Amino acid sequence: MRTTSEINQSPLDIIRQNKEIERRANFIKAIFLDIFFVFYSVIVVQRAIYYKFILDLRDIPFSWGSILLVFVIPAVVSVCWTFTRTSISCKLFGIAKDNKVTKWTVEIFGWFLLNITFIAGWIITKLSIVDLFSSEGLQGAERLFSSLFRPEFGIFDDALFAMIETIYIALLATLISIPITLLLSFFTARNLMKSNKITFVIYYVLRVFLNFIRSIEPLIWAIIFSVWVGIGPFAGMIALLVHTIASNAKLYSEAIEGIEEGPVEAITATGANKVQVVWYAVVPQIVLPFLSFTIYRWDINVRMATIIGLVGGGGIGTMLMQYQGLARWHEVGLIVLMIALVVWVMDYVSAKIREAIY
Amino acid sequence: MILKVKDLHKIYKNGMHALKGINFEVEKGEFLVIIGLSGSGKSTLLRCINRLIEPTAGTVEFLGKDITHVTGEELRKVKTQIGMVFQHFNLIKRHSVLKNVISGKLGQLKTFNSIIGNFSEELYEEAYRSLDTVGIREKADERADSLSGGQQQRVAIARSLMQSPKLLLADEPVASLDPATSNSVMQFFEKVNKEFGTTVICNLHFLSLVRRYATRVIALKAGEIIYEGEPKKIDEEWFKTIYGDEAEEVEIR
Repeated sequence: MRTTSEINQSPLDIIRQNKEIERRANFIKAIFLDIFFVFYSVIVVQRAIYYKFILDLRDIPFSWGSILLVFVIPAVVSVCWTFTRTSISCKLFGIAKDNKVTKWTVEIFGWFLLNITFIAGWIITKLSIVDLFSSEGLQGAERLFSSLFRPEFGIFDDALFAMIETIYIALLATLISIPITLLLSFFTARNLMKSNKITFVIYYVLRVFLNFIRSIEPLIWAIIFSVWVGIGPFAGMIALLVHTIASNAKLYSEAIEGIEEGPVEAITATGANKVQVVWYAVVPQIVLPFLSFTIYRWDINVRMATIIGLVGGGGIGTMLMQYQGLARWHEVGLIVLMIALVVWVMDYVSAKIREAIY
Repeated sequence: MILKVKDLHKIYKNGMHALKGINFEVEKGEFLVIIGLSGSGKSTLLRCINRLIEPTAGTVEFLGKDITHVTGEELRKVKTQIGMVFQHFNLIKRHSVLKNVISGKLGQLKTFNSIIGNFSEELYEEAYRSLDTVGIREKADERADSLSGGQQQRVAIARSLMQSPKLLLADEPVASLDPATSNSVMQFFEKVNKEFGTTVICNLHFLSLVRRYATRVIALKAGEIIYEGEPKKIDEEWFKTIYGDEAEEVEIR
């Protein structure tokens, strides 16, 4: 709703105000981004390059001096830097002064960031060509591979049953997720929720909540639920269900955000209410993408279900874990073969179904 | 008087000042045509009238009532009395023609009934009558996107007729159609205007169509009205003022 004061303002004032607000917002963003950049470079140089590589320390020593160095000084320096309007973030947000200093700082600091990131990455991942091609290592790999390629068919029945369990875990997680995801997706679609403050708050809270859930991997969810409901297929199914809901709600709501606005406009213009607009102008446009996402998700879930089994989510993964623990590589070979086969078939079938739908 | 627009301004969030104080009135039964270059504010003006876009300042009076600030149920009631036809037809592609036509009536239907698709016999008859008016009853059961452009626009007209609108807005209704089809679609607007006495406000590009169908013309340039009057009086000189010196009139028959 517009306030009366806003209506009485002259149009030019509003334009000027909007520009001013945008400029200020960009400046605040630039401050935070600069703090992050400087902070990042100090942390990387001090912790990864100096302590871990040059001094080769195992534990990082604690001292107030280093806290000051790492947290306070970068913050102060970067804020000062932003205020001079020559920083890299000012350049990114388009509010930098257009002079030589800006050009130099941006170039030098940009190179610096790129290089320390690469060096730190090298140190942290312990990149080592020697380990990859040591004769001892190669022998171990050869032993393992030769067992894997001679699978033990004695456990075929057990493995088949476990595989079926895995497929059903994935199927049920996908099916149960559909109605819940459908409902959520309408509440997390920006174009449907932005018109009104209350709905926008709901949209925002739901988005943050779902992002949080999605950012936790199904593997972690499986660990949580295997404590909650006990180790087994049920824990695996719920873990997949939770993650499926969170990620499909995002895909679905993005499909809703990507619909053609025209029909929505047309139905709104007839005086239809919100529910009618969604049902007549939005739903017909999203049925196919929804179906396609869901089928694809089933395919993903079958693959995930095998992984989840490794931490006690039931199915073929749990079986794989057991034989791997006993170092019985011929049995492991059979299980891996079956997983590969099922994943390949699922991939093919789901691709064919999705093709047929469109 | 059916519509009165007073000092209407629209400023978009990006700072674009699309309408700069528009004033005009429309009498009942008129066929008002708005012309102007792309980006001159024609579409914004139409959408401000039926509140698809919220005007920044100024008022719109419809049937003697200020509708600039009505909200909720009241706003929907206003919208049911104003039909609208769009350049890209904006039909629901996957629905049948009949269902598209019926959707024009949504504002007057109960939510639950409209969702489960429980429509009365009278409603179906009314939909068929609307389709008769635009002459495509036989296409009723076909999917909307299987029709040609001209036919789709006729379905869109039939859809707006379901509202029994007092005012019909048409936003460049023939801009994506070929010349021959354009003329036939315009004839249906004329028919609606003459037979039902519906007031029509229409954005158009082709002056030959304007001269043929309009009873009055408004020309917009950069968000301001620069000409208002009879279509016949738009001569070479006015044409150059409206469309710029480089422009040359293209004849369409």
